[in-house]
Amino acid sequence: MADNDEDGGLNILASETFAKRISRRAFMGGSVAVAFAGGTALLAACSKASTSGSSGGASAGPIEDELNFLHWAAYDDPNLFKKFTQQFGPKTSITTYTSNEDALTKLLIAGGSGGYDIVVPTGPYIPLFVKNGLLQELDLSRIPNFKNIDTKFTNQSWDPNNAHSVIKDWGSTGWIYDKSQISRPIKTWSDFIDVAMHEASGNFSLLDAQNEVAGVYFWANGIDWTTTDPADLDAYEAWTKQMAPHVKSFESYPGYQFSSGNWALSHVWNGDARQGFNSFKDPSRYEWGLGAPQTELWMDNWTIATGAPHPNAAYAFIDFILDPKNSLQDLEFHGYNTGITGVEDAAKAAGAKFLDMVFFTDAQLATTRPQVINSAFEREVEIFTNMKAAAGG
Amino acid sequence: MASVSGSSRGARRIRAPRFALAIPAWAWFVLFFLIPVLWIVYYSFGYKPDIFRPIATDKLSFGRYAEGLSGSFLHVFSQTLQISIIGTLLCLLIGFPFAYWLATRVTAKWRGVLLGLVIVPFFVNFLIRTVAWLIILAPNGPVSTLLQRWGLRAEPLHLLETRAAVQIGVVYNYLALMILPLFVTLDRLDPAMREASKDLGANRWGTFRQVTLPMASTGIIAGLLLVFIPLTGDYITPLVLGGAKGNMAGAMVASQFVAGQNWALGAAQAVILIFLILGTIAVFALAGLAIRSIARARRRIVLPAAAEGAG
Repeated sequence: MADNDEDGGLNILASETFAKRISRRAFMGGSVAVAFAGGTALLAACSKASTSGSSGGASAGPIEDELNFLHWAAYDDPNLFKKFTQQFGPKTSITTYTSNEDALTKLLIAGGSGGYDIVVPTGPYIPLFVKNGLLQELDLSRIPNFKNIDTKFTNQSWDPNNAHSVIKDWGSTGWIYDKSQISRPIKTWSDFIDVAMHEASGNFSLLDAQNEVAGVYFWANGIDWTTTDPADLDAYEAWTKQMAPHVKSFESYPGYQFSSGNWALSHVWNGDARQGFNSFKDPSRYEWGLGAPQTELWMDNWTIATGAPHPNAAYAFIDFILDPKNSLQDLEFHGYNTGITGVEDAAKAAGAKFLDMVFFTDAQLATTRPQVINSAFEREVEIFTNMKAAAGG
Repeated sequence: MASVSGSSRGARRIRAPRFALAIPAWAWFVLFFLIPVLWIVYYSFGYKPDIFRPIATDKLSFGRYAEGLSGSFLHVFSQTLQISIIGTLLCLLIGFPFAYWLATRVTAKWRGVLLGLVIVPFFVNFLIRTVAWLIILAPNGPVSTLLQRWGLRAEPLHLLETRAAVQIGVVYNYLALMILPLFVTLDRLDPAMREASKDLGANRWGTFRQVTLPMASTGIIAGLLLVFIPLTGDYITPLVLGGAKGNMAGAMVASQFVAGQNWALGAAQAVILIFLILGTIAVFALAGLAIRSIARARRRIVLPAAAEGAG
């Protein structure tokens, strides 16, 4: 990681501290968490009362009657948008994007006149958005519910002091498989690759995201997935050529469609896997596994775009979604940890299912690694594009 | 407004130029077809300056064309051509008997109803029509379940996300575009022509080959073009049904523009696709002309009287 920092430019966007802090904190967690949990109920009660009163803020005018999102697809409970409209007035509309690169390009081309208010980039990309002047600086005093966020998830290395962003949720990557078709257990990325190339050949999906596919190879082979070593990248490229003919599809959201039986095995984000389990008639037939021995840690964040036509509505929404009750409702929909203090206990108390796919153990957290955007990025994009074309053969 | 000038009775009426009727269509095509296509051609000579900007045109080159025709992309183009040629021919093989039956065997009363049924799928959005197949043909979906229950298959049906799925999907999506022009030409054929052929001693096959088929050729050509051109550029069907294996050029171009954010390469591939379509049509047209002239030469009958008269 050290050489990444020295490379300068794009490479200093590393956020290793995020992973370390989470695991270190989580280690101490045990007793602390209990203490926090008690306070959460109070906080929740307070924030509920404060929501309507404080959303105006000192410098704010009235809340506008529209709010436009540039957002990942199907990433929030639709009922929350309805509730927000009922409570505050603005009608919400969503334009979706498929990757951070896609979102960045959409904003760059629009040059601040795209009409987007809220954008949801992933952590390591935020400095790029900021460097290109695409995000507004946040006035945290206008987001009173910011105080509900567990401090593990504030003040991240990619956005010190939450100058431009606040957490939406965070998650990781693993696999889901149908035990009626795959009899041996999948415990590691090496198992995943082996099964994919044998009994699941032509019958599995990989995430349609270049960094994730690179991660599969690097984690399976004990290589840091932030590597910039040309030899590692060459080896990765050679592997993609071996792997390509076995791939049935590149699919970013296989989880909720997994019950169709289209795949025996899928590479999947934890929240999407959980959406799959929620839809299964017989969940015991399927198995979820978090990537091992290492896997990813990503964090998506609420931001307000430069030139947002409805900033007051945007602030109102971010504050609204950070309300513990709304946050829990959203979590139950998307299946990712929203980082609100005490959300795990609240989810358990609410009887939410399959929480092992949402909340990870300390041992699991210790194996997660955040993405770094460095000089290998462009090469990895190219390797992946070629892999997708080669998979057609 | 023109009636106001009615007071000056002797004045010459301002006459619109002859092409006035075509102006709206021309304006439409120039504005929304020609200019965007030229723009795409211009972009295809550009390049992608860095990972987060999709296009730059300060240096122009043929580099993207070389890239777009290399390795795995070339494979996608050849696969596209295979799917589209097979798909177009399947449409003809399935559509012709149906159109012929509709035009010659069905009473006029039912013709309109049946033709209406052919068009019914067009009332549903193309994407939705295709996505519906995901539900119907899923390994745990109704078709697969029924086939297994009836003992016709031991295993779940694994049809989705294969090339076969795309092949079937494009035939389904474009079949009506083949049937309609075929029906129109076959319907206009005078039954008396076929009767005359029969009276002159031709059997059914001979009548079909020497009377019906040549007279329907304009409809066949129209149908082939109407199906082949959009089918080759289709990107929804491969995107929905194809998975990694059933990739087609249209989907590849779309992915360069959207996911890859490489507009220069996407534009070059789009232009290559246009030339691929034009080239294929040209090859088939030449082959068709050659076959026709050979057939004519072989069928040619020189009447003795005419030969004398010429001499």
